[in-house]
Amino acid sequence: MTTDAERLTVVTGSSVTRRKVISIVSHVLLIGASIVMLYPLLWLMASSFRPENEIFTSGVSVLPSANWSFDSYVRGWNGLRVGFGQLFINSFVISALSVIGNVVACSLAAYAFARLEFAGRRFWFAMMLMTLMLPYQVTLIPQYVLFLNLGWVNTILPLVVPKFLAADAFFIFLMVQFFRGIPKELDEAARMDGAGPWRIYWKIILPLSMPVLATAAIFTFIWTWDDFFGPLIYLNDLRQYTVMLGLRTFTDNTGMSDYGGMFAMSVLSLVPIFVFFLLFQRLLIEGIATTGMKR
Amino acid sequence: MSIRLRRRQFLMGSSALAAAAAFGAGPAWAQGATLRQFFWGGQARADRTYAVNDLFTAANGASVDSSFLAWGDYWPKLATETAGGNAPDIVQMDYRYIVEYAKRNAIAPLDEFVGGALKLDGFDEDQLEGGKVDGQLYGISLGANSVAQLVNLSAFEEAGIEPPNRDTTYDEIREKGEAFKAANIRGGIRIIADGSGSEPMLDNWLRQKGLALYTAEGTLGFDADAAVEWFTLWQGLRNDGICVTAEDQALDTNGPLETTMVVMGKAAMMPSNSNQLVAFRTLMTDNLTITNYPRIAPGVGGGHYRKPSMFFSVGGSSANKELAAEYLSFFVNDLEAAKVLGVERGIPCIDKTREAVAPDLGEADQIALEFVANLGDLLGPLPPPPPAAAGEIDASLLRVLSQEVAFGARTPEDAGQYFVSEATAILQRAS
Amino acid sequence: MATQVDTSASTGAGRVASPSFWSGVWQNHAPGYLFLLPWLIGFLGLTIGPILTSFYLSFTHFDLLTAPRWAGIDNYMRMFTNDPKFAASMRVTFVFVVFSVPLKLAFALGVALLLNRGMKGLPLYRALFYLPSLLGASVAIAILWRQMFAGNGLVNQLLANFGIQGPSWISNPNTSLWTLIILAVWQFGSPMIIFLAGLRQIPQDMYEAASLDGASKWRQFWKITLPMLTPVVFFNAIIQTIEAFKSFTPAFIISGGTGGPINSTLFYTLYLYNEAFGFFRMGYASALAWVLLAIVALFTAFSFLTSKYWVHYDD
Repeated sequence: MTTDAERLTVVTGSSVTRRKVISIVSHVLLIGASIVMLYPLLWLMASSFRPENEIFTSGVSVLPSANWSFDSYVRGWNGLRVGFGQLFINSFVISALSVIGNVVACSLAAYAFARLEFAGRRFWFAMMLMTLMLPYQVTLIPQYVLFLNLGWVNTILPLVVPKFLAADAFFIFLMVQFFRGIPKELDEAARMDGAGPWRIYWKIILPLSMPVLATAAIFTFIWTWDDFFGPLIYLNDLRQYTVMLGLRTFTDNTGMSDYGGMFAMSVLSLVPIFVFFLLFQRLLIEGIATTGMKR
Repeated sequence: MSIRLRRRQFLMGSSALAAAAAFGAGPAWAQGATLRQFFWGGQARADRTYAVNDLFTAANGASVDSSFLAWGDYWPKLATETAGGNAPDIVQMDYRYIVEYAKRNAIAPLDEFVGGALKLDGFDEDQLEGGKVDGQLYGISLGANSVAQLVNLSAFEEAGIEPPNRDTTYDEIREKGEAFKAANIRGGIRIIADGSGSEPMLDNWLRQKGLALYTAEGTLGFDADAAVEWFTLWQGLRNDGICVTAEDQALDTNGPLETTMVVMGKAAMMPSNSNQLVAFRTLMTDNLTITNYPRIAPGVGGGHYRKPSMFFSVGGSSANKELAAEYLSFFVNDLEAAKVLGVERGIPCIDKTREAVAPDLGEADQIALEFVANLGDLLGPLPPPPPAAAGEIDASLLRVLSQEVAFGARTPEDAGQYFVSEATAILQRAS
Repeated sequence: MATQVDTSASTGAGRVASPSFWSGVWQNHAPGYLFLLPWLIGFLGLTIGPILTSFYLSFTHFDLLTAPRWAGIDNYMRMFTNDPKFAASMRVTFVFVVFSVPLKLAFALGVALLLNRGMKGLPLYRALFYLPSLLGASVAIAILWRQMFAGNGLVNQLLANFGIQGPSWISNPNTSLWTLIILAVWQFGSPMIIFLAGLRQIPQDMYEAASLDGASKWRQFWKITLPMLTPVVFFNAIIQTIEAFKSFTPAFIISGGTGGPINSTLFYTLYLYNEAFGFFRMGYASALAWVLLAIVALFTAFSFLTSKYWVHYDD
């Protein structure tokens, strides 16, 4: 007992200075790497303040132009006839609904695959994985015809309803992997106390899965926000366009383009997803590690 | 799925019949009817188009539900909608795809409406002809343009070299190019971009030789000797530093204006189109203008033609074909509409609308208008619309072979032979 | 192929006395299907139809604008006997998968481990490292990448300081694919976040116990962190590989859809997309898609088979 305690103090004592060195080295490395990561964003911002005819002659400079102005922002924001404000609302509604749908529906399916025993489980799991493997380009037209017959084209339903039906197998698979990491003894104990599958799902699995649920929420929001192919195919009305779709109308190879507006709105379009990321990343650190759950 | 498509089309057709029956014949259906319109373009084109749509609604009572996308996004969406039997009433069409869509009845012939809902009095004959497939009218040209070389006047001035004019030949480009190289300005900018992979430039060069890219029967209009000569010509210009290097030219991904050699500051000239001068001017501080493609020899012309820059067509499954035709008529005839549209889609095809737009044009538009109006001996006959596989031959054959020669993966002889044999095979497969 | 049969659940359910055969069936299987219900509705109602249709279309000539015509195995025959671009795009895609996936995963895991040390400013770094992934593959990225990797771009300006004269990386057919691999690795944010979530899932008391036993950090990493993280490593490896095989947008944006120069960035799905929407050959594109599915499915099945030897679940 005493030897253990001694060893512990020795270990901690010698590691104080070592830890400091490691910490400084880590920070230096991380700051250096951050610059590489950040550079494109700085360039994007610098470009958004440049006049149109300086954007392509300035190379990769991130220094602000002498002729900088907010013109691109004003032009871009008022673009597309309905204004970009409407597009931000549209994107937000679709993304937020997708987050709810994905987190709820995928966690239900993942719980079934990870914890429940039923006939055909392996078969359905394989089917689910298969849906990940086929390139979407070839199911696009049959899917379009399907949604057309349902009368959903030119509404947001084709973009949102599949999320509530767990069509995104990525997240089911992700959650399965995490659910399986939760100690099974917890289920067993709860079952002894008479808890059914629903209670175990609700009271044990979900609370212990905050990191993966937060991950799913973050990815869903960002990927839905960034998606343009779905909105491109299913939305016809300018008033329903999403931000990503709007961004792509700024540049046309055959006529006049508005690169400044495109850069300006690209910068603005990053704000909601970055804020969403910052809000939800707090949840990433809550998990078994911090809830003090003993095995 | 095909059954479902057909049923859908049938349903749409029958409901349209029912609607027509309910309202009776005559223009009554115009009240409250809505046309769906879809086009490619940017913000500037959209603003003009929407303003015309408002004019049309004010004049006619029917409203136009319109949306637009950039070129690259437009085609997959239109194909998807067409495959689903849900194509818009009015679609913008390109010279490249009109045969493809017409042959498959994805767009409707308009002959029955000409003189009635669709008034085409005084419409330029060649522009009308350009919208025909197998003798039937499938598209109404929204403006004419022509291929043209974009010229960076500032670069020429800096190099102290006289910019090319309408008499300049390929040989003179070479001479000027030597002087240009010697001037060594702007980190070695070259006089011209590598045009060997440019379909319009090859077409223009062939037409000057009395050949053609494609015949009216949809076969290849030249032989391997001509193709070899073409690749050899550019190989020489490349090797001698007249045109840009292979690595520089490959930066151009054939589409985005910002990847072109003039905007990237690699060349002082490049193949382009008359209606794009305005767009290029907004991207550069340099002074830009346009001129014709080089002549193959002094006094030889006939390479250029006035190309319908784009069409409006009526969707094959549209339930409102006559109203759509009426819209097209309004779009090309109405003087107010013409003033709003300007020459953004190309030079208007009717004399009176041309006169209506001329006074209000900006400098760049004025240059484009004059260029297209004064082609003179450069002007040749309108070629037949390209066969359906032309897009594939351009994208997966000509451009790739041009790069293979440039990077030394093939000799010009090899590339020329291969081009002709492979293009012939593609055309046969497609027909 | 799927998860290992887990016996404890069935014994748990078996404890409930079943009055009849059918209620036994109900007791055993109903909860699973109830939880699976939303996904089943979506799968049977929205997903499987289009998938089967594309399988049917792969045996037809379908030009998008008119009804498909039956073609038997023509499409598959052409692919393997008479299509050099099929082989070329396969090669490009395989090179991309082989290099981008391990590099991306290594970066993601390395940074995740670094960021998991509970150091100051952790949320800030995490956000910064995720930024490139936020940008996705937009037109802006395409322009920036061209400015960076062109002949006189930023990369060559840096190399010039060391006396190295680099090629025009992005437009030279020998190097262009590498600029796309770098782009993929640079956007390592998503697997990094998943690794981080996985690290937080490891019970802290395991480390405490190990520390008390005098295990070094290094030993703790090998004996605790890595084994506990294997389900997440497994997930990231499978998903990133599938995604890399299907990679489309970066090549589409940066090469302007051409796959150039000289087809050096003609990714498999880019080729497929051009066949379908550029040249109106949806039937052939569908056949291409199903060949890709077969390859990816084989790879995935193989991974699941080997997983029982190295992936540690707690069940």
